[in-house]
Amino acid sequence: MKQIYTITAFAENRPGVLYRIADLFLRRKVNIESLTVSEIEHTGQSRFTILVHAEPLLVEKLVKQLYRIIEITKVIDSLDQSLIIKEIALIKITAKNLERRREIEQLVHLANGKIAAVNQSYLVVEKTGTEEEIDSLHELLKPFGIKEFVRSGRIVVFK
Amino acid sequence: MKLTGSQAVMESLLKENVKVIFGYPGGAIMPVYDALYDYMDRIIHVLVRHEQGAAHAAEGYGRITGEPGVCLATSGPGATNLVTGIADAMMDSVPIVCITGQVASHLVGSDAFQEADVMGITAPITKWNYQITDANEIPEVFSKAFHIAKTGRPGPVLIDITKDAQFATFDFSYPKEVKMESYQPTTHPHPKQIELAAELLNKAERPYILAGHGVIIAKAEKDLIRLAEKGGIPVAQTLHGVSIFPTAHPLHVGFLGMHGNYGPNILSNKADVVLAVGMRFDDRVTGRLKDYLPDAKIIHIDIDPAELNKNVQVEIPIVADAKNAIQALNKEIKKRSHSAWIKEFQKCYQLEEKKVIQNECDPKKGKIKMGEAIYKLNELTKGEAIIVADVGQHQMMAARYAKFVKPNSFITSGGMGTMGFALPAAMGAKYALLHPPNGQVSDGKASLDREVICITGDGGVQMNIQELATLAQENLPVKIVILNNDFLGMVRQWQELFFKKRYSMTKIKNPDFVTVAKGFYLQAEKVEKREELMGALKRMLKSKGPYLLDIKVEKEQNVFPMIATGASVDEVRLE
Ligand SMILES: Cc1ncc(C[n+]2csc(CCOP(=O)(O)OP(=O)(O)O)c2C)c(N)n1
Repeated sequence: MKQIYTITAFAENRPGVLYRIADLFLRRKVNIESLTVSEIEHTGQSRFTILVHAEPLLVEKLVKQLYRIIEITKVIDSLDQSLIIKEIALIKITAKNLERRREIEQLVHLANGKIAAVNQSYLVVEKTGTEEEIDSLHELLKPFGIKEFVRSGRIVVFK
Repeated sequence: MKLTGSQAVMESLLKENVKVIFGYPGGAIMPVYDALYDYMDRIIHVLVRHEQGAAHAAEGYGRITGEPGVCLATSGPGATNLVTGIADAMMDSVPIVCITGQVASHLVGSDAFQEADVMGITAPITKWNYQITDANEIPEVFSKAFHIAKTGRPGPVLIDITKDAQFATFDFSYPKEVKMESYQPTTHPHPKQIELAAELLNKAERPYILAGHGVIIAKAEKDLIRLAEKGGIPVAQTLHGVSIFPTAHPLHVGFLGMHGNYGPNILSNKADVVLAVGMRFDDRVTGRLKDYLPDAKIIHIDIDPAELNKNVQVEIPIVADAKNAIQALNKEIKKRSHSAWIKEFQKCYQLEEKKVIQNECDPKKGKIKMGEAIYKLNELTKGEAIIVADVGQHQMMAARYAKFVKPNSFITSGGMGTMGFALPAAMGAKYALLHPPNGQVSDGKASLDREVICITGDGGVQMNIQELATLAQENLPVKIVILNNDFLGMVRQWQELFFKKRYSMTKIKNPDFVTVAKGFYLQAEKVEKREELMGALKRMLKSKGPYLLDIKVEKEQNVFPMIATGASVDEVRLE
């Protein structure tokens, strides 16, 4: 049965590694649901966090095939229960009318979000949390008319 | 030492003990060719006639020596012409290093003249690739490239060098050793796994060894023979495993796969313990997976962890170099014999002999047959030759009927099945015998005199036939045997068996190959009659230079036994 897996790959930070990773998922026809890459400080290593929805056996094969990429040093596949998962979302909402703004601010406050930017014509809401928390705030804000909605893809640390 | 990037390329090749390179010049690699001009006393450059030829020649060289074969090409079309050869090397785990020129770094990405995205194109078909834009990177990248190509599971590596990096001067010093944090292939088996494996083998009633290319790459042939002899275990070889065992060895039961021997296929499913070593359970070997090895506990040794549990679920995966693993197993294995089990293979062979082999190798009437031609060739070479086979019916016939006394004597394109592979690969193999890498001890005269025979089809020889010019220019004594049936035979066979004999585009009108060969200044002969075959083969083997023998064989002959695609190994057909 398909499950959500987070594949965390560590690699030497060099051009071309992402290309090879993406190619492998393409060959195996596994869609990458989200992907974040960052450099681990001072190590010359990058950390890739790849979210996929796939069969366990296929994930096992993908992990082993990832090791064929020369620059890769370590690959770990995890289910959600063994991870602390966070994502960040930015939600831009047009709100010229003061009362609407207040309503939004209240909602955001209740949902543990932040107002990241404001001006006369719009607000930008920032929400850090689990994917579900972001989804639910997104739902709550929909009636206000969302102009832009962007999420970072998950980052995780191991429990 | 101050050098230009191009000189550094030459010096790096020397540091890596490279003796021969196969290549073709062009704009973006001209500085390297200019540097080569001063190194021609130390490096032999073979001017192929198409870059695909260079890549396959490098493969032939790599497979015989175990050291990377090297090819050199220009940017754009030169590099893209290498692609088929690179993909072939990737599939068959062949160590090659390809060096391509690239447009100057300020032009990269701008659609400049003869710019191709070689890094992007070759990423999926190389073990590693790297673009050098700064001459200072050359020593480290070269040492890494050679290390990666030949260690672990070998494979192709490509180095793309921009033209400005070829011109730039810098202080050259070559790293003494390769330091890499990532890429640490596991070469030694886990002792516990070996213990478990030995336990299984020691208890087995019908143990069975499947031996593949990895045994040859690890130079573990002798160790495997010792293991089989000690445990009394029959051994079947994959296409790339052919010649691990001397053909005549009593425990060698034959060749596996779609057109392999009858017994090795059908009896797979009777084995209770299978030791698969240096092979990857390719679909041509396993047939229908769901009915493959139903009763066997499987031990799988491979240096590439990604091969374990990839196609077949195994009981005991062992990540290791085949030699280390087999040597470790040898210490644990008990002396046993399984004569009843081995008799079953003999019985199957007798049946195959009666139904297929006799008629194929010793027909009394009709046209010459492919098997017969190979059989007669054997009689003359006594199994000492290196056979390089192309792709098609003749390839399967060669794998089935060529006899071998030395390991690593059969070279062909297995994973990709690349038609046009054999002629350039044979060229590379011959260079490997004549000019092994610096520091590699050759067998002296034995290896200088050893025949390299390219067995090819009338279709396949026309892909890369331009390399006849290279053979002529170098006067390289490669012998080419065309098993000429005036058909794209293997495809025709499938049309006959699975497409109601609708011969769509498989009948071909061939050139007169003797005239073609003579046009290239090769000696050549055509033979059609059974009585003349032996004489013609003898003349070919006696000749000093390159030689082409066009053997007209029966047109609509099929290769049997056969496991149809999607069938199980125990549904192997004898006719
Ligand atoms: C480059 C390439 N194109 C097409 C094929 C498909 N193919 C496999 S065998 C074969 C026929 C080969 O004919 P020939 O060289 O005459 O050999 P024969 O089978 O007759 O011995 C073809 C077309 C291939 N393997 N490689």
